[in-house]
Amino acid sequence: MFERADDVVERVIQHLRRPVAIDPGLDARVLREIAQAPPTNRRGWPLWSALAAAAVLGAILIARPWSRDETNRSDLLQFVFVAPQAASVSLVGDFNDWDPARSPMQTAQGVWATAVRLAPGRYRYAFLVNGVDWRADPGAPTARDDEFGTASSVVTVGGRGS
Amino acid sequence: MGIERVESSDAELVRRVRAGDIGAYGALVSRYRDRLGRYAVHMIGDHEDAEEALQDSFVRAYRSLARCYDPARFGAWLYGILVNRCRTTGARAARRHRMFVRDADALNGAAHGDQADRVEWTDAIERALARLAPEYREAFLLKHVEDLEYEAIAELTGAGVSALKMRVKRAREQLQLYLREAEHV
Repeated sequence: MFERADDVVERVIQHLRRPVAIDPGLDARVLREIAQAPPTNRRGWPLWSALAAAAVLGAILIARPWSRDETNRSDLLQFVFVAPQAASVSLVGDFNDWDPARSPMQTAQGVWATAVRLAPGRYRYAFLVNGVDWRADPGAPTARDDEFGTASSVVTVGGRGS
Repeated sequence: MGIERVESSDAELVRRVRAGDIGAYGALVSRYRDRLGRYAVHMIGDHEDAEEALQDSFVRAYRSLARCYDPARFGAWLYGILVNRCRTTGARAARRHRMFVRDADALNGAAHGDQADRVEWTDAIERALARLAPEYREAFLLKHVEDLEYEAIAELTGAGVSALKMRVKRAREQLQLYLREAEHV
């Protein structure tokens, strides 16, 4: 015997209300796609907003820069890094003498971001998590000439990019 | 002492995104991914297509954020984008063989019978849901699974409240019928 019609439907509803597993990498793919094609500057959007960027690989660590301000010789790049459990994240690179105090990243619920303006050139960079954990950007080329023994990534500004 | 967790409002996050903080958009994606993802999976039926629709909706919302006139209601605005996107995907998918997804976690949490029964029950629900007309399935999911008020659903779908009530009623009747049929197969 089947149960009452309303009970059956209620069971269906309770079943459908259960969480559905969504690929955690979806966040990264969204950010990457946004980075590749930023919104146009219209209806009051600040030009700045067309200069942000990011890319992600995996659920824990992510980052990739993009974008340039055509009105300046230098490019404004936003670096984004997903680290929900981190207490602090800093962007370090040869453009800031690898000094974590110069580019601390701001967080919005585990998504860390900071923007830096860079003149054309090739730069190495990485992310310093909690002041001790050094992470390269898995979505960017790896620097092959890192003399410090720690992995870092490469971004090229004013050329073909990373 | 310790780290204080402060959760920003949708309006605050939207303001920050508009100011160029892409990280704030990441927070919005994280906030709405699971709930909207559930709707997309149930509405479309195919997990991969649903995630594609979800991703596309987030990207479209970002690119159109200037048109979100009430940032405090970003979630509702985003829902509307996803509902439309699911309609498009659903129309395409209807021409293909429909796939059904068994969520292992959901199965493990089922409360009826042994594992085989749970799988059968899950399949039966998915097939019954798939047999509903898209507008019935849409109204049923938004009302009963996403727990939205009829007025909110009307705003999202463009349908009138009385029409929506009828769709939900029909959906309930048909689900019950299809599941009864499945039991007798």
